[in-house]
Amino acid sequence: MYNLIKMNLYRMSKAVSTKVIAIVWIFLTLFNFGVMKIVVDDPFNIMSEADKATLATSSVASDLIQSLFVSSNFLIILSVFVVLFANAEHKCGFDKNLIGITNHKWKHALARWISAVIGMTVLMVVSSLIYLGTCALFLNAFELGSLATLAKVCGIVYMGMVTFSAIFFFFTTLFKSSAGGLVPSLIISLGILFMIEKLLDFLFNKVFGSTDYVPSDFLFDSKFLNFDMDAGRNAIIFLGVLCLVYTVLTVGGSMLLQQRRDVK
Amino acid sequence: MEYLLETDNITKIYGKITAVDHVNLHLEKGEIYGLIGRNGAGKTTLLKMLAGLAKPTEGSYSIFGEPEKQTAKLRDRIGVLIEGPGLYPNMTAYENMKIKSLILGMNDDNFIKELLADVGLERNIDKLKVKQYSLGMKQRLGIAMTLIGHPDLLLLDEPINGLDPQGIVEIRELIARLSKERNITILVSSHILEELSKIATRYGILHNGQLIDEFTHGELLRRCRERIEIRPSDATKAVTVIEGMGITEYKVLDKSVIQIFERLEDSGEIVLELAKNNIKTLSIAVKNEALEDYYLSITGGAGKKE
Ligand SMILES: Nc1ncnc2c1ncn2[C@@H]1O[C@H](COP(=O)(O)OP(=O)(O)O)[C@@H](O)[C@H]1O
Ligand SMILES: [Mg+2]
Repeated sequence: MYNLIKMNLYRMSKAVSTKVIAIVWIFLTLFNFGVMKIVVDDPFNIMSEADKATLATSSVASDLIQSLFVSSNFLIILSVFVVLFANAEHKCGFDKNLIGITNHKWKHALARWISAVIGMTVLMVVSSLIYLGTCALFLNAFELGSLATLAKVCGIVYMGMVTFSAIFFFFTTLFKSSAGGLVPSLIISLGILFMIEKLLDFLFNKVFGSTDYVPSDFLFDSKFLNFDMDAGRNAIIFLGVLCLVYTVLTVGGSMLLQQRRDVK
Repeated sequence: MEYLLETDNITKIYGKITAVDHVNLHLEKGEIYGLIGRNGAGKTTLLKMLAGLAKPTEGSYSIFGEPEKQTAKLRDRIGVLIEGPGLYPNMTAYENMKIKSLILGMNDDNFIKELLADVGLERNIDKLKVKQYSLGMKQRLGIAMTLIGHPDLLLLDEPINGLDPQGIVEIRELIARLSKERNITILVSSHILEELSKIATRYGILHNGQLIDEFTHGELLRRCRERIEIRPSDATKAVTVIEGMGITEYKVLDKSVIQIFERLEDSGEIVLELAKNNIKTLSIAVKNEALEDYYLSITGGAGKKE
């Protein structure tokens, strides 16, 4: 298992796609900072007081982290990264050289996902530091805020992204192709699924009247993308359980598929 | 006799296609086994099952004397090259080799370089991307990849396919050398019998998923020898006549055709002698089959014997 992860990290470090994705994301991070600078500090005095009031963008560290990652931008980057990484071995046929090395083929899937998460973690940590760093240095309105809140938001965001990575990973394993993995992943990242789920809630309410729960309470992406970071302990635990269930199901499913299916 | 590799009625069914049909294959230690079959015969499917990449629908196999289920610890002693080498095109030969060796927990960069040199790839191994390689170079890199774990068994699926004559000779010599120098047992498939005839010690002919024949290299040479083939009206009587002429090297096929391997210039005399004994000669020919024709004769008639 350790060797498999080492191998996956090596090939990740050598892949062109990894470098391109990392550069694009760092660029988008800096771009985000640029937008913040213009909107919040307004150095060119282009906004009236009324404009500022309507935009009302928070420049507290925890809010900055949330807005950086809980966005279509990052989800798209993440889905491209996970899908390309998860499919590369199969795409070039390298899997034929190594899947047969063990009878426990599921280990290959697990190691591949863990490696993708490690890659994602590095990307998130580096871009968080760059974003918070540039904001702290160059954004006049920057506020660090409560460190406890910052840690909590980082934890929730990270947990959600791990779950998203598992879901994207599953689709790639299921369809054994980049396109097959990307289409559903992008539908989620772009918020299209979110809208469909809203519609589902609406229909649910029409049929059953007003209930305590609606379907999207149990659908990870709606729950997460809509999550109120100030919510109480119970809501966070509920989200955590939801993340865990989705991660276990999708990673477990990928492992099962890897174990049972022939290598073509 | 304990075999290094043995299959027991191994079968793979894809929907309506029986790609591999109850094959019983036997491989002794140190052999180079040539698995010969046309495109679609089931060679790749059979090798994939042995390589642990596909599950048999039916039947089983054992490797190094252990049944399939207990091969977990032995799998890294098998090197596989299935259907053209699977390589990362944007990486160098060295990086591709490194990936494989990391999985096996090996960290010896010199060994990687030695292996690459051994297959004739020593220049630019850390500069040139694999996508810039010729097919022959990729095949050789593919073989080098199989050698990383110090394997005792190699499964090579059509390593010669698509190469030019020069490339074919190189790979063939490489395979022969690996078998001799490293004492590796090799199962190698090809759709051309002739390509393997110079190195294989044993052959299996796979046709429509079935192993229709298995023979040694010596047997192959014997079967392809120059000979007179006579179809007499009465083969039993004809044999007496032929023996009466002092001919001892002959063989009767299907109780109707007699193959004579000596006095090849005397076909006229043999016909005359048969006629004297009231035996008609229905057909006679001097045959010297090329390997390929021999192969066609066993597969061409869909398993029908001569
Ligand atoms: N994954 C698959 N799904 C369905 N049919 C397959 C698959 N792989 C091989 N086959 C079929 O099995 C037969 C044997 O194929 P293969 O093992 O590739 O033959 P060979 O390698 O001797 O050319 C062919 O008829 C092929 O179409
Ligand atoms: Mg084939």
